[in-house]
Amino acid sequence: MARFFSRAARPILLAPAGSPDAAKVALQAGADAIYVGLKGWSRGGAKSELTSEELLDTLAAAHAQGRKLQVALNTIPRQSERRYLVRRVEELIGLGIDGIIVNDAGLMAELHTRYPELRITASIGCAAMNEADVAFYRDLGADAVVLPGTLSADELYAAAQVPEVLIEVMIHMVEEFIVLGKCWMPSYYRLNATPLAELHGEGNRLIGSMKRGGAGVCFKVCEHPWVLSLNGQDVAQRLLPSRQISPINALSDILDAGVDVVKLQGRSLSPDLLAPIVGRYRRAIDAWEGGGPVPALQELPLEPSWTVSRR
Amino acid sequence: MTQPFELNTTISNLRDLHASDLSLYDAIYLGNITCRLYEANLLEHLGDLRDAIATVKAHGLKAYVTSYAAPRNDFLPKLAKAMAVAVEAGADAVEVHNLGVLKIVHEAHPGLPIHVGGFANVYTDAGAEVLKQFGAVRITPNYELSLEEIGQIHQQVGLPMELLVHGKMPLGISDHCFLLEYEEAWGMKCPDLCQQDLFLKQGDWAMKSVGKGVLSGKDVCMLEHLPRLVAEGHTRFRIETVSESPEYRLEVGRVYREALERAFAGTDGVEERWWTTLRRHARIGLCNGFYFGRSGMEYLGVRPDAVASALRRPVAETTDYQAQGAIR
Repeated sequence: MARFFSRAARPILLAPAGSPDAAKVALQAGADAIYVGLKGWSRGGAKSELTSEELLDTLAAAHAQGRKLQVALNTIPRQSERRYLVRRVEELIGLGIDGIIVNDAGLMAELHTRYPELRITASIGCAAMNEADVAFYRDLGADAVVLPGTLSADELYAAAQVPEVLIEVMIHMVEEFIVLGKCWMPSYYRLNATPLAELHGEGNRLIGSMKRGGAGVCFKVCEHPWVLSLNGQDVAQRLLPSRQISPINALSDILDAGVDVVKLQGRSLSPDLLAPIVGRYRRAIDAWEGGGPVPALQELPLEPSWTVSRR
Repeated sequence: MTQPFELNTTISNLRDLHASDLSLYDAIYLGNITCRLYEANLLEHLGDLRDAIATVKAHGLKAYVTSYAAPRNDFLPKLAKAMAVAVEAGADAVEVHNLGVLKIVHEAHPGLPIHVGGFANVYTDAGAEVLKQFGAVRITPNYELSLEEIGQIHQQVGLPMELLVHGKMPLGISDHCFLLEYEEAWGMKCPDLCQQDLFLKQGDWAMKSVGKGVLSGKDVCMLEHLPRLVAEGHTRFRIETVSESPEYRLEVGRVYREALERAFAGTDGVEERWWTTLRRHARIGLCNGFYFGRSGMEYLGVRPDAVASALRRPVAETTDYQAQGAIR
């Protein structure tokens, strides 16, 4: 299997595809590559995952258009499940996928050792936030590391200086109060073990745990109103800060920083919502490559609950 | 005779260190992992850090220096200096929660014992094995793991697992502090804001806010289950007191010191006075975390009164979001 991307290549637009229809419109709208979840093994949620048959068809469609496909396997399997998942990865390689996205450092190292030609991306769930994280995951065998779109262009530039690893930026994403990959509020509240059919009773999906949910379902407790109590008195009712970010107007700076892959979050997006987002980023990347100005776009408004940052 | 276990806790600054009776503990983690602006955070005040290490060691305890849970690039140079100070001042180990920091520390100080913290997301034996190659000598597994899973990692990897046996369990870390919004309304500035008694409540459950992070509202309590932990070969135990008073640190530490000595001696029994102390310090009640494969705020044991919460009545009278279907 050849390496997926190279640093010298043009920026890659990587779009989510939570269904075959979403994959179709993402490719039509100009995505260079798409990423899909395999049923039972991704953070995206059961409704946003593909069956093996859907994966095969989608892969064929992508390759027929000269595009790439990555498979997100970014929940953390238990010990007994890991053997099964490693076998599934071998099958996926046989099908001709172009890479996988994983979350666990141990699984990443094992897959890199077993399949050195397999392109591995360190998932956004790895919570990489600095250049040292990027170097760490590179050392384990990651070909690319996903960083959040909340990082500054300077931070991305520093990350892009780490040799022999590609930088993906989740530029269009929901920034939640808790850092992605460092949250277990939902499972503190509720944790449901649900057998995973594929494992014939040998494995459970732990709904509520974003790390091990399989279906990737959290209960989104953070999105509901909280009463803030100060020294025993209820003083406010509020939401935890959360906002959609999509800094397309800063795309030139981000690409100038040396970012290799512009990644869009949203395997749960319906095709009609996904297509314009992909199209917008396609036009912006093309404009940057042509040396022209990135088309201006009104920034999405911040949620009123968004807060200040002081660091 | 060497003591068969270690009981440790966390202290963020020199003021809290000097106000605390350390005699119940074997080791102290120094520094605040959440925020650089935490009052006189030892990780930002390196002269204080030297003094703190010296103070802890003068008490005959081990001094561990912790580090940030979610550091951005601009944290790294100062953090590297803090780790260097830790080494120079004779710290016995450092704790890392961020894998990039693990790489930095291991490369700069190859022989330094590294404890991997709970935010490093160690979920599997394979993950632990990788970190062992980067100098990890002890691991706090992710808090979501059950005792059964922790036992498997322990057996497979052969490193001691550090277990939170009491205190508020970290649930998440943020890059932002929403408490800053209230500086004017409350007439209070950073870094005093996060020192207050702050809870986020939703129906009959709650989390403790520490500004850039959230902790469980309930105190994890493994008092009843210490014999099982001992039987399963665990010897490193933490009481999480980063957001607690010196009184809490002292009184809860005393309970667990006695209880652990008894458990390691093979003597059964939980003293009523221990319960009285723990209940008094746990306003929202007690839980077992994820140790029994259940949701983190559940409590399993013979003491149903352990779950008693001062939260229930007043919140039910005001707003019950759960009843309104606000929680899915």
